[in-house]
Amino acid sequence: MRHFKNKALAAFSIAAVFAASLVTASADTIKIGFNAPLTGFAAADGASARHGAELAIEQVNASGGINGDTLELVVYDDQASPTESVPISQKLIQNDGVVLGISGSYSGATRAAAGIYQENSVPYISAFAIHPDITRAGNYVFRTSFVGEVQGRAGAKLIGEMMGLKRVVIVTLNNDFGKSLEAGFREMAERFGIEIVGQYEYGIRDRQFGPIVSSIKNDNPDAIYASGYFFTAGPLVSQLRAGGVDAPVIGQEGYDGQKFIEIAGAASEGVIITTSLNRDSDVAETRDFIAAFEARAGYPADMVGASAHTAVMVAATALRAVGASDSAALRDAIAATNLAVSTGTITFNDLGEVQKDVQVQIVRDGNWHEHSVISDADLLAPPTE
Amino acid sequence: MAYEITLLTTMAISILFALSLNFISGFCGQISLGHAAFLGTGAYASAMLTKSSIPFLLTLPVAAIIAGFFGFLIGLASLRVRHDFLAITTMGVGFLFVGIVRKQDFLGGELGLAGIPSPDMSRESFMVFCIILAVIFAIFSLYIRRSWMGFVFESIADNEDVTRILGIDASRFKLAAFVIGTAVAGIAGALYAHHFRYIGPDSFGFVQSVSVLAMVIVGGVGSVWGVAFAAAVLSILPLLVQFIDDYKLLFYSGLLFAMMRFAPDGVAGIVQRLYGYVRRKS
Amino acid sequence: MLYLELFIQGIVQGSIYGLIALGLTLVYGLLRILHVAHAALFTLGGYIGVIVTNTTGSFSLAIVVAMVAVGLVGMAVYKLAYEPLLHRPPYIALIASIALFIASEEIFRIVFGPFGLSYIDPPLQGQIELFAGFRLKYGEILVMGIAIVMLSALAWLSAKTRTGIAWRATVTDPEMAAAFGINIQNVRYLNFFIASALAAVAGVLVALLNNLVEPTMGSVPSYKALAIIVLGGLGSIRGTLVASLALGVIEAFGTIYVGHLLDRDALAFAFLILILMVRPQGLLGAK
Repeated sequence: MRHFKNKALAAFSIAAVFAASLVTASADTIKIGFNAPLTGFAAADGASARHGAELAIEQVNASGGINGDTLELVVYDDQASPTESVPISQKLIQNDGVVLGISGSYSGATRAAAGIYQENSVPYISAFAIHPDITRAGNYVFRTSFVGEVQGRAGAKLIGEMMGLKRVVIVTLNNDFGKSLEAGFREMAERFGIEIVGQYEYGIRDRQFGPIVSSIKNDNPDAIYASGYFFTAGPLVSQLRAGGVDAPVIGQEGYDGQKFIEIAGAASEGVIITTSLNRDSDVAETRDFIAAFEARAGYPADMVGASAHTAVMVAATALRAVGASDSAALRDAIAATNLAVSTGTITFNDLGEVQKDVQVQIVRDGNWHEHSVISDADLLAPPTE
Repeated sequence: MAYEITLLTTMAISILFALSLNFISGFCGQISLGHAAFLGTGAYASAMLTKSSIPFLLTLPVAAIIAGFFGFLIGLASLRVRHDFLAITTMGVGFLFVGIVRKQDFLGGELGLAGIPSPDMSRESFMVFCIILAVIFAIFSLYIRRSWMGFVFESIADNEDVTRILGIDASRFKLAAFVIGTAVAGIAGALYAHHFRYIGPDSFGFVQSVSVLAMVIVGGVGSVWGVAFAAAVLSILPLLVQFIDDYKLLFYSGLLFAMMRFAPDGVAGIVQRLYGYVRRKS
Repeated sequence: MLYLELFIQGIVQGSIYGLIALGLTLVYGLLRILHVAHAALFTLGGYIGVIVTNTTGSFSLAIVVAMVAVGLVGMAVYKLAYEPLLHRPPYIALIASIALFIASEEIFRIVFGPFGLSYIDPPLQGQIELFAGFRLKYGEILVMGIAIVMLSALAWLSAKTRTGIAWRATVTDPEMAAAFGINIQNVRYLNFFIASALAAVAGVLVALLNNLVEPTMGSVPSYKALAIIVLGGLGSIRGTLVASLALGVIEAFGTIYVGHLLDRDALAFAFLILILMVRPQGLLGAK
């Protein structure tokens, strides 16, 4: 028994020394927590998000860090699952002592983690998850990307007003992303004179759209509003064109990235999306990001990478303003953000939702290019409660 | 402590869930590849109720009854199809559950249910509560295994036809196993919903069904202690091996494969062999 | 007219299912193992197909290389993973197979990257107009063609050749077959080679139709092929074929007409459960 006690004592003192060394080592580093799906089905987005976030950290540190302190990103893999993200957030807050968290993950994982950050009064910024309830977790939670509904409304304006196309078929990806886009699109369809002549749904694992293509051809629409990610949209667009459907395809930020063009090949020409990253931007922040991302990642910048980069930049700016010691002050500093970054000029409303313009991009000659910008503040108003 | 409390709560819920499948697959030999559907049924039932301000504790029996009722239906199906046919039928039930939940707006559809209220107790007491439930069911499982019911289960698992020839109404016992196992999975689901406070259709898919079956088999089919141990370890394994980063899932699946390949009788089998070895030595 | 188009699209999809599920049936027929990792071999076929086509420029070479290479990997899977587990309860092999499948997805991701690969210059992009306004890609026609050729070859092999007779004998009664001097081990190797090669062809073709191979490409076949062979009556080659085509057609119509009520997977499994409740031995299974 005595022996055991001694051992326990020894172990405890070792742990104490270890902990003390951690504290001294971290005196001049400020830690930001980052959860992203690095393994499993969403690993592609996780990889881009991580590149974007780490790029931002390098840039911040290269330009003097946070008032002399070094910024450090603590990265954990959440497999895009709430069961992983909840303990991860607690570990980040409690064991790693992060002053702020960033989600480079999908809605489920982000929504579950947001509650933990709120409970601990630690600010949390969602880079690209679209679930409307994320920011409703509380006043410490922010989002630097659009909720699905806002982008859906932008899509309706783009098709019905700016392109003047009225007979539209909706193809919806069966998940939170696709469903909220559809909701936003339907909400505004009537206002822009859009008649929905067909509606199809598909699952995230589907790559074969033969029946949907046949039926869309039968509907003979003016335009197709299709939600999806590059790995579903690529095959969908190429199968639509091969099947003889020539109507314009309008997508969203899920298509965003070079891989979509690689998959769909020639069929991708003329596809238009609403997103957050303008490739032809003359804004210095955006141009710098696009160049730096490709140099770091080895493939062209995408929306996910830009969004994670944006979220870290927002965090770093707030940290520079008020330091890391007071999380309430940090929260207020984030809420007061007014920052030009790769995805536009970021400000937040009272709920912590971003207010910025929607970038419309089109594929021309095998690359994404500027089509137009939607800056209708009323239409793009994010939810406020 | 919050992190450790979350881990322990997660472990306790996983143990309860794995033991509930062990009741069906381990004791009674009915392999199910869709058990996550019952976790989901309980989770949705309970979350819907607490969201409409019904106290958490009252929702537990409701979750158990609803999940058990669906379990009864699957039990009926198990009377008609057997072995691999049953495995695939239960897998189908899992897909059907997720497919139906996806399309129900009142269940949140694709968006799932967020903002599930906390279970009227601190995280510490909730952890203790989950552990107590897991322990109670473990003891109940041990008791059943030694009872007449457990004996019949074993005989059904061994050879159902022989059991029937012995004049035992195997159907009734199979149904009982399904109802008890799925009802407990429903309770585990209620705990799950109020632990993570977000549930969506993808929380209860094929992957979850496979994971829980893996817990039962890695633990050693039928062994209460083995299954509890495997559930505890496997449920938090991804978090424990965060440092290997990119190779996390590879490690998990590699371990699972090695386990099946070299120790197919699971943790329980390894312990038994070690025990035998030690005894022979002394 | 739309109905006819949907029907043909269903047959195309059903042919793909058929190529994948047939290999699974062969394995099940011989070893009674639910071989989930079959879907990993399908994905491997896709990767080899794209890589060989992109480096050599020859699509037909890619098909041959994929078939042979994946066939050999399939034999290795049998030798290293399944053979030691044959005397164990079947769910041990099932979990081992699932573990192998998850591991393979991770290996594909780590080796080839998370974004997947595409044909740089996709072959067979032309189309044939079957009737007014309805076009099929060469790739889709090739899928049906290869499915027919492969299945006929298999039927001929099993009915008319000595190897086929040995195979059928081993399926029916392994001990008796061994007593008659059939080398059971060789039959099993051959079985895995053929099954895996079929999966590889399917992988190359699906990669062509989607112009994408990704680490998770096998996720749908991993469970749906199981549903198909169960639906067909476990171990019945004809049943598998009928079930594949039936499922392809049902999904094609279901996607359009009941897609807002049930997704594609749920639809397939609803059909499966319905059939099994009426016919517990599957569509063409023997009681």
